[in-house]
Amino acid sequence: MTLLAALFSHYRRHPLQLLALATMIVLATMLWSGVHHLTSQARASLDQSESAVAERQQVERKDGERVTVADFVELRRQGLCVMPWLEVSSPEGGRVVGVDPLAAGCFESPDSEETPWRGELEGRPFVDISEAADLAREQTGQLSLLMSDAHSARDLPSAYRLAPFRVGPDTGELGDSFLLNLDALGVLVLLITALLVRSVYLLGMAQRRDSFALLHRFGVSRARINRLLVFEIMLLALVCILPGIWLGRWLANGLGTGFGRALEGLFDQPLYAGQDGGWLMPLATMLAVVLVACLADFLRPLARRLPGDGQRYGVLLALILMGGIAMSVWVSTLIWLFVAVAVVFVAAGTLAPMLISRLADWRAGSDKDPLSRWRHRELSVLARRLALPLVALQFAMAMVLAVQALVTTFESTFDRWLAQRLEADFYIEVPQSVDLTPAMDWLSEQPELAASGLWHRVVRGRATLPGESNEAGTKVDVFALGPIGPLVTGWQLFESTARPWQSLQQGHGVMVNEQLARRQGVTTGQSLTVELGSQELELPVLGIYPDYGRPAGEILLNVSVLPPDFIPSFQSLSISPGDLTIETVTRRLKEIWRVEELTVRDNRAIEDLASAIFDQTFLLTRAMTTLTLILAAIALLMMGWVFFSTRAWYFRLLVVWGLSRRQASGQLIRLSVSLTSAIALLALPMGIWLTWVLVHRINPLAFGWSLPMAIYPGFWFELGVLSLLIGLSIALLMSRQLRSPASVPGNANALAGGER
Amino acid sequence: MSRCIWLLLLLALGGCSESPQQAGFAGLAGVADPESDVPFLQPGAGDRLSFPGDFGPHPQHRIEWWYLTANLRTADGEPVGLQWTQFRQAITPRPANAEPPEANTWPLEAAWMAHAAVSFDTRHYFAEKLARGDVGHAGARAEPLAVWLDEWQLESASEDDSWRLQVSTDGWSYDLSLSINRAPVAHGDDGFSAKSADGEGSMYFSLVDLQIEGTVTLGDETLEVSGQGWFDREWSSQFLKSGQQGWDWFALHLDSGDKLMAFRLREDNGDFRAGTWIPDKGEPVALRPDQLRLRPTKPDAQGFPRQWRLEVPDYGVNLEVSAPPGDYLNSGLYPYWESPVSVSGSHGGVGYMELTGYGE
Repeated sequence: MTLLAALFSHYRRHPLQLLALATMIVLATMLWSGVHHLTSQARASLDQSESAVAERQQVERKDGERVTVADFVELRRQGLCVMPWLEVSSPEGGRVVGVDPLAAGCFESPDSEETPWRGELEGRPFVDISEAADLAREQTGQLSLLMSDAHSARDLPSAYRLAPFRVGPDTGELGDSFLLNLDALGVLVLLITALLVRSVYLLGMAQRRDSFALLHRFGVSRARINRLLVFEIMLLALVCILPGIWLGRWLANGLGTGFGRALEGLFDQPLYAGQDGGWLMPLATMLAVVLVACLADFLRPLARRLPGDGQRYGVLLALILMGGIAMSVWVSTLIWLFVAVAVVFVAAGTLAPMLISRLADWRAGSDKDPLSRWRHRELSVLARRLALPLVALQFAMAMVLAVQALVTTFESTFDRWLAQRLEADFYIEVPQSVDLTPAMDWLSEQPELAASGLWHRVVRGRATLPGESNEAGTKVDVFALGPIGPLVTGWQLFESTARPWQSLQQGHGVMVNEQLARRQGVTTGQSLTVELGSQELELPVLGIYPDYGRPAGEILLNVSVLPPDFIPSFQSLSISPGDLTIETVTRRLKEIWRVEELTVRDNRAIEDLASAIFDQTFLLTRAMTTLTLILAAIALLMMGWVFFSTRAWYFRLLVVWGLSRRQASGQLIRLSVSLTSAIALLALPMGIWLTWVLVHRINPLAFGWSLPMAIYPGFWFELGVLSLLIGLSIALLMSRQLRSPASVPGNANALAGGER
Repeated sequence: MSRCIWLLLLLALGGCSESPQQAGFAGLAGVADPESDVPFLQPGAGDRLSFPGDFGPHPQHRIEWWYLTANLRTADGEPVGLQWTQFRQAITPRPANAEPPEANTWPLEAAWMAHAAVSFDTRHYFAEKLARGDVGHAGARAEPLAVWLDEWQLESASEDDSWRLQVSTDGWSYDLSLSINRAPVAHGDDGFSAKSADGEGSMYFSLVDLQIEGTVTLGDETLEVSGQGWFDREWSSQFLKSGQQGWDWFALHLDSGDKLMAFRLREDNGDFRAGTWIPDKGEPVALRPDQLRLRPTKPDAQGFPRQWRLEVPDYGVNLEVSAPPGDYLNSGLYPYWESPVSVSGSHGGVGYMELTGYGE
């Protein structure tokens, strides 16, 4: 027991170290486990949806109407094996799917017992369709008719056609990528934490080397000491990780609604509460991270890695760095991109302190002034000794820079895009099944509207891009406008032919959104075949327009191009009434359409709502990066302070040698500020490169749309100020130490910071 | 999966508290206990048949069927046995005059099952279909007669007393026209056919003289067939007595122009026999248990007896009934044996035999 007390007494003497270790472990656990909890929840939702139903084909009506039980009866009486699938949103959230097991009997083939569904959906078994139909009376239900693979499109009567049936969102791997992105951020946080924890721990170990030597003299074997150290770190880790996980849950719940809404808005995938995930996995992971970080030296012999050793290390690292950057330019999958980022980080992280100390040495070599020479040599030593927290700070700064840039770019792009989309002042929902012609005639006749107002009609629906002869085609959203006026001609297009809006107005073409262009490899000038209603049209692509926030493909065309049997799912009018007031317009429209109520929305309100939703989306990433930066800053602060304290004796020498205390403080300030500024300077190119990777490589792969690359010198300034502050704080803390006498460090061991 | 659901449905109604053995073949001996206020109707002595209504469905009875068996010959004289059956299982009883529920509520008040089989040249083809009731793709109607499940249908043709039956499935099909040559024959006591000494039973009538013509397609070969058929119509809510394992049923067309229907219900101690003697000219006679002797003569390795001795001494009937070589097991949800038979002894003839409740 006394042995343990002796070991732990170190923390009694240096309670701040214990506090720092504990805080870092708790914070890191909170961050990482919170993010992990959210992403695993979302993954489970996506996976469940995907696996619950083997990919099947469904029958749809060619005229666009929804299928009903009458269609089911008709198809069954023709001898086709179809079964109903009734999806109803459940009152507790989530959804309920009703199926007919009797109808599904024909899906079984003699060789396989495979039913169209497997197991459960979202933790709930499928229900009999009569139950779902009961629910559908209050909520909305959606009926689909699944058809057995034994039949093909040829067996269908002429009024029907085949389409693929998937339960999950139709987003390809985009949902997965989004989550992978978040997970990668989490891993980065883990990495930074590991570095920080390691640095603090190593410092502690260095300080305790004397006590270990003492204990050894008293007869305690090294093995026993090592075992106790392992026990000590495990105890500390367990005590800190558990509250960290609990805090992480709290964080996840707090951010969960925003995250869920983002997921739903981006990918049409609601977040199901589902399983709780458990705490064993995060506990085990964090424990492993902490143990490896602290005790890595046990795993390999304690080789002294002074980074200044050997020029070849430097060159090798530089080559690896170049390789990583090249990889990030050329690879095309998300996983390899993350690998490239990891490679670059590792190389840059190892290079940075090396670079600083070499440069400082070189400057010292050519220095005339003894003080500045001392300063530069001291800087070199510091860079080597404080390598780990410095690198951690560099990583954190680069990450913050990149994520800030991403978020700001996105915000401004999105704001601009939204403003374009919502250019009209008001949006009027057209009631189902009214004839729009008299309304449009009236609108066209109003002189005030023609003079000072703008309006157009919007028709939304679905179309198909036919696939190969036997494949089902791709579903796309249809966004039809008419007339094409100044409300849209101001849009910014990524690519376009000459005078695209005129061609669109004449009905000689179609525009596609960025997601569709990327996924189908469509370019302007190409000809696109589209199935609208019962007609198949071939139209040239006039341009590609941005469409943020959802990965579905969409085509934009003139309303006049739509065939008469096209069934729209939705129609609306966008109008800026100008001199005519909105009340006049709505009153007249109510008269024309003979309705009591009209849904009229103020587009400004919609803009605010949309912005709020996207803010929520990035709240999570912002929170993570800010917290990580704070973590790194505090760690460096603490480390620097502790380290400076061990060298207090040398700094006292300055005073002894004739500098006034104020001058000595000044030297210290210059020293620490130059250190932190140096690392900030090195973080800068890394941050810019990471911004580029995020915006131009990761974002398109994860979301389907890209963002313009932009540089924000404002952020650099912020980071510079931050590094300045850190440096100043360290120096100030040190200066206070100058007053108290310090003893000569007895042990000249390099690890104790005893370089002279 | 659907097997499980079907089984669960039936067992749930058939009385889960009873062991499968007590519940008898296909759970038909189980006691029906509906949760709704409308009770199941149980036929009893004194119930009478009424036409044409009784050709249609009885939604307040638990189980009923429309059952055709046919002994046909090809143009070359080879025998072809043919069966078509459609079962209705009521999950929730409903009075006959009540409005059926709306199809778009996907009601679960009844379930339909249809069987079709062809026995030719020692080969046996069998298909089974299931459907939910009151949706529209399966149903029955008395006037004009129509009984259908998906694309299988029996319907009244344009002429009176003439029906058309069409069945098609993976690899084989048949298309027959049936003409009814005799008025319906009521079994038992004017239609109430007791199945045990305690009085459980069913309403049961048959069309015993059907002239059939049509085509049977098996894979690539199409056979022109003609022959005679027997159509059963039966409904009940408590078919078997608890403890009865199954039954053996025979419908025979004798060369003399007479017809014979006989069945035996097997119980733990003894069996219950009944039948109907339908002379060529004259009224049908219900046979009491003591007037009829029926027993297998040669047990089969599988457990289904293929040879039987049937005696009705009062009418000079002493028959050896045997199934042709081949395996005639209908392997659906509830397997049973259904095969054409040939008759020899005091009379010659053909017929059909159904054996249920063996082995499992």
